[in-house]
Amino acid sequence: MVYQTWWKALGVVLLVYTFIAGLLIPLKPGISSVHPSNAATGEEVVLEINGYNTLFTRSGEEVRAWLKMDDAYALGASGVEIVDDQHIRARFYIPAFLPDSGRVRDFTLLLDDPFNGACVLPSAVFITQDSIDPAMGKAQWVNAPIKGLHANDGLSFPFRNILKESIRNTYFHVPLWFAMVFLFLFSVGYSVRYLRTGTHDNDRRAHALAVGGVLFGMMGLVTGAIWAKNTWGAYWSWDVKQNMTAIALLIYFAYFILRGSFEDPEKRARLAAVYNLFAFVALIPLIYVIPRLTDSLHPGSGGNPAFGSDDLDNTMRMVFYPAILGWTLLGFWIASVVYRMERLRDRVLEFY
Amino acid sequence: MNMGKEIWNLLRKDLMLELRMGYALSGILLYVFSTVFIVFASFIQLPNTVWNILFWVVLLFASVNAIVKSFVQESGNRQLYYYSLVNPVSVLLAKMAYNVGLLFLISLLIWAGLAFVGGNPVRDPELFLLAMFLGSSGFAITFTFVSAISAKADHNSTLLAIMSFPLVIPILMTLVKLSANALGLMNDTGLQKDIILLCAMDGLLLGAALILFPFLWTD
Repeated sequence: MVYQTWWKALGVVLLVYTFIAGLLIPLKPGISSVHPSNAATGEEVVLEINGYNTLFTRSGEEVRAWLKMDDAYALGASGVEIVDDQHIRARFYIPAFLPDSGRVRDFTLLLDDPFNGACVLPSAVFITQDSIDPAMGKAQWVNAPIKGLHANDGLSFPFRNILKESIRNTYFHVPLWFAMVFLFLFSVGYSVRYLRTGTHDNDRRAHALAVGGVLFGMMGLVTGAIWAKNTWGAYWSWDVKQNMTAIALLIYFAYFILRGSFEDPEKRARLAAVYNLFAFVALIPLIYVIPRLTDSLHPGSGGNPAFGSDDLDNTMRMVFYPAILGWTLLGFWIASVVYRMERLRDRVLEFY
Repeated sequence: MNMGKEIWNLLRKDLMLELRMGYALSGILLYVFSTVFIVFASFIQLPNTVWNILFWVVLLFASVNAIVKSFVQESGNRQLYYYSLVNPVSVLLAKMAYNVGLLFLISLLIWAGLAFVGGNPVRDPELFLLAMFLGSSGFAITFTFVSAISAKADHNSTLLAIMSFPLVIPILMTLVKLSANALGLMNDTGLQKDIILLCAMDGLLLGAALILFPFLWTD
């Protein structure tokens, strides 16, 4: 396997595909901002809406807009004016009373036209009411039911309000983490084989795979930190999964230091294999148990340490799964290079 | 000789060595009291959240100091003699049992020391004792096994710390949460889950240590 080329070539092809598709496929049209974001009852408000990746001029003047309170109550725009591809103005008459007993209520903005499809901005406008009368609000409400929404059929990634373009990091940050786990699993597997057979080659493989895993872990941490800075607001939020990765990396650094402190190759291989296995057992609660018990900022938290099914759509899956395979194969390629280097070094040292 | 008896005899041997040498145990005691003194001299007023964390941090470092000598205080030849005389796993189990007891004693002392100078914030002593026992067991199992690895290398005290600290972080995180409940800082309804998790982690590490030790002692 180490000397065969086909899987390395497959890895490169998949990664080239990941980079091209992952970076070039556009996002779906969305709403990036609305001004003003506050309004009061009983007034007429004109919302300046900034679209993202939208082409409003091609919509055939058929843009419709709603302010949605909940599934039962929505307010239709009385007029929509297209300024240019990224800007439109929508005019709303806000009734004197809201069908809600709160003083301030958030409304979701919804746009729809045949060309761009439907776009949503949750909590886009906050409406304040001075006199509260939910019954009156329900009676006076002119409901504009939201129906006949268009879908955007073009090849695109979903638009998410906080993530925006950074959603593409899904093909880099997440697969790097997957690949790291695979590399560590194989490393532990070779440590077990070393302890069973005593063949020095197995220890070399275990070490090389751990090197690859640590490299990927660091890259996953860096890509994650940059992503976190842009979405959660800080590089490090003491999230349970961030801590977990940091601890896993600390354990493998200790593994390398342990290896470095022995001269005798047989002793080094045996003790390193024992520590690798013991550390892996200690990692099991860290990876599979604690994240399920604790809240996390990561998607799919609170019961599921991986992705939720809502977080990927079919276009993303088309890139995401090949990306996992591609990064994993690259990791194994890196490990195989480290392994061959180590083996050559051992041969040279033996020779002299 | 059956294993229970072997472990008991080895345990007695370890205890007698400790008491005869004396300085090791008194060194740990002195370490605990000087640390507690330094903590209070610098903090003066100690909020309960800090008390909770400091307790475990002091225990963590005291444990490393106490356990690092487990496999180095006796010469390699004498160790080999034990391994040929009894089941090697009994040697490990005896050391672990001894260290669980030692760490539990140290944690009681730290509690007493912290309570003596700064007042006792513990509202639920039973839960705190349980956390201390589970914590001592987890630390003792991990540190004893890792000290068996690091005893084979030079500079073994540094090696023990860097190799075992990352391994006990999950235990430490759960312990801090559990004792925060005992101090009344937090009111967690899922307390049972944490206790089961701690027991599971201790059991898992113990199992791994027992399986791996036969590969470790042979040279």
